[in-house]
Amino acid sequence: MARYAMVTDLRKCVGCQACTVACNSEWEVPTGYARTHVKFTGVAGTFPNLLSSFFVAQCNHCDHPACIDPCPTGATYQAENGIVMVDRNLCIGCGYCVEACPYDARYINPVIKKVDKCDFCSSRIERGLEPACVATCTAHAKFYGDLEEPKSDVYKMVYEQGARRLETAQVAIGPNVYYLGKPEEVDLAFAAFAPHPPRLPRAGELWTTVLRPLVLAAIGATFLGQAVAFFRQLVKGEGLFEDDGEQ
Amino acid sequence: MGTESIPMTSMPPTADQAERMSQRQIKKHHVAIMLLHWFNAAVWLTELATGTALIVSSHFRVMPYWYLNIVDGIFGGRANMLHFHIAVGVTWMVVFAVYFTFGFRTYVRTRVLHGIPIHESGTWRRFLALQCILFQNEEVCLNADDVRWLKIRALRMLGHSQEPLPPQGIYNAGQKLFAWLVYMTIPLIMATGLIMSFHLISTGVVQWAIVLHFTAVGLVVSGLMIHVYMGAVFPEEKPAFFSMITGMVNELYAYRHHFKWWREVKMEEQAWEEKLAGGPGIAGSHRLTKVNATPAQEAEVTNPYCSITGHGSLWRRTFRAPAYWPPYVAGVVLGLVLLATFLFMGQGLGASGGFTRYVVALLAWVAPSYAAHHPYWSNYYQPGQSPLIAFLVFELIGVVIGGFVSGWLAGRVRITVEKGPRISRRKRYVLALAGGILTGYGARLARGCTSGLALSGGAVLSVGAFVFMLGVFAAAFIGAYFMRRCWL
Repeated sequence: MARYAMVTDLRKCVGCQACTVACNSEWEVPTGYARTHVKFTGVAGTFPNLLSSFFVAQCNHCDHPACIDPCPTGATYQAENGIVMVDRNLCIGCGYCVEACPYDARYINPVIKKVDKCDFCSSRIERGLEPACVATCTAHAKFYGDLEEPKSDVYKMVYEQGARRLETAQVAIGPNVYYLGKPEEVDLAFAAFAPHPPRLPRAGELWTTVLRPLVLAAIGATFLGQAVAFFRQLVKGEGLFEDDGEQ
Repeated sequence: MGTESIPMTSMPPTADQAERMSQRQIKKHHVAIMLLHWFNAAVWLTELATGTALIVSSHFRVMPYWYLNIVDGIFGGRANMLHFHIAVGVTWMVVFAVYFTFGFRTYVRTRVLHGIPIHESGTWRRFLALQCILFQNEEVCLNADDVRWLKIRALRMLGHSQEPLPPQGIYNAGQKLFAWLVYMTIPLIMATGLIMSFHLISTGVVQWAIVLHFTAVGLVVSGLMIHVYMGAVFPEEKPAFFSMITGMVNELYAYRHHFKWWREVKMEEQAWEEKLAGGPGIAGSHRLTKVNATPAQEAEVTNPYCSITGHGSLWRRTFRAPAYWPPYVAGVVLGLVLLATFLFMGQGLGASGGFTRYVVALLAWVAPSYAAHHPYWSNYYQPGQSPLIAFLVFELIGVVIGGFVSGWLAGRVRITVEKGPRISRRKRYVLALAGGILTGYGARLARGCTSGLALSGGAVLSVGAFVFMLGVFAAAFIGAYFMRRCWL
């Protein structure tokens, strides 16, 4: 099975946002939201040793996604080719996954009131096209391919040219979007846009820590009580209860 | 049977009495209540089966994966399952909304009718009144006897008491507690369900809705297990289970388990018997309380709310009263229905348009080519397209069903010919047919009848609708003069 990945060459990226526009128009992303977005680190360092970099943010299609477990209905799932997908028929717009994603790659679409994010343009890939952002990139800075295919561009970039993925010691969930560039520039971008640990909103936390144990205990206790009563009924016979009534 | 033979307290019956009582059946549930019960049971069964199978994530999951896979397979995917879950849930809500609307109306009406103030003084009476407003049914309200019953029952189960249990009404305190739980959680389940289904308000609210939905359902399930166990397994309550199928319980069971209710039924029966025997007539019911018990004794065995507002189930009191709705209320509700059809169907209500489609369907079945090329009928029929796929067609079916249900619940359904006293049935039939033909022809000529043109058209301020209504009233005034012999 394929394992799709994307590589962005930060040396080539000019920050033109053509990828953002292509993606927004391809997927009807409402104004003010984005599935992919070019960010700028700002200028760092002291003159004359200045440093800056663009950074293309999007869904990383992680090997161990943080967004799947919190989704109550299973609308978010990982396809066999590793792409993390959203089934809009199942999404109820609760946003647990939005909070969980360490890369903030998800948003709630205010039009359909359901979650939306990059899916590596799955429907375009099925038709043999490149993802919209890759096809449109003015500087040819974005590459897309299969990491299990040694002849692919991404394979060479990842395994031979040392493209790096955005991970930290706390968040190491195997993102599949890689970045190429001068080490100091990539370091700068990674530091500026470091992932945060997955968040669970208070409601979900209350359910897992207090309410679910409580509900299961209540059901379990009832079941146990009934089992005892049933056992008594079996052992002592039904006659026992005849005179036990209200008299 | 003399009045003295109805005991004030529940003494153990002799073997002879018990034998006689076990032979006799008393009516416990109205058929509507039984239908509602099994409808509710079916809804809970399907909603629990699909709802628990919908929760797949490890953060929320309550059922094992093999179960999720089985239900997934039955529905062919969780998206279908979710749609099913929502559809059943919304149907459930609609049925219960109707139940509550009618129940509340009847409750207030009964109190007004009996001159009982809605506001009460004193904590305990206020609490009773509050319960009754919430539940709209005194039979479900907890009273002092129930609190004692719960205490003694718990002590007896622990083996610390031999005290006899206080007498109970038609539902015992345990059942009432379960009713409390259900009445408190059901609005929560419904509201949170709607929020999740339609992504209402905001993401944060949906997050809480999920958690509250699960918790509320979980609490009901723990009570539901006792309810099902008591009904289906526990030997003592077997008559209660069968009463939900037949509507009847035997008298011995009623005497032992629901003494207060049994006594009420007995007193009601006795009042009837006296009446039938040509006794004191209407005054009998007054005499009954005097003969039976002093006020102090009366208060001892019956909940004041039960005795004041009378017996009988909510459904019987709501729907068995052969009263029509007040026209102003019905008018407003009809307006809301009209608004709803505009919102959901994009068109108003109608009657003759639906009939036209039935006619066209018949014509297209007999002579499809003629129907397709006829200048008028072809508006409704194109080959390969059924004229019956239209809102009005289904609306008419709904009108028939709804009309029947309404009449049936109010006890008005019977086969009859509505006519004036002076004309024969046959003449009435002929005139009705003639009138129908005229109305039908006129309606299609005017492109609508009183429903489609006057009601729906008037709602969107169509000039034609108002002209039509003026014409209808003018013609009716004139026509009524000539047709008066048919009705007076």
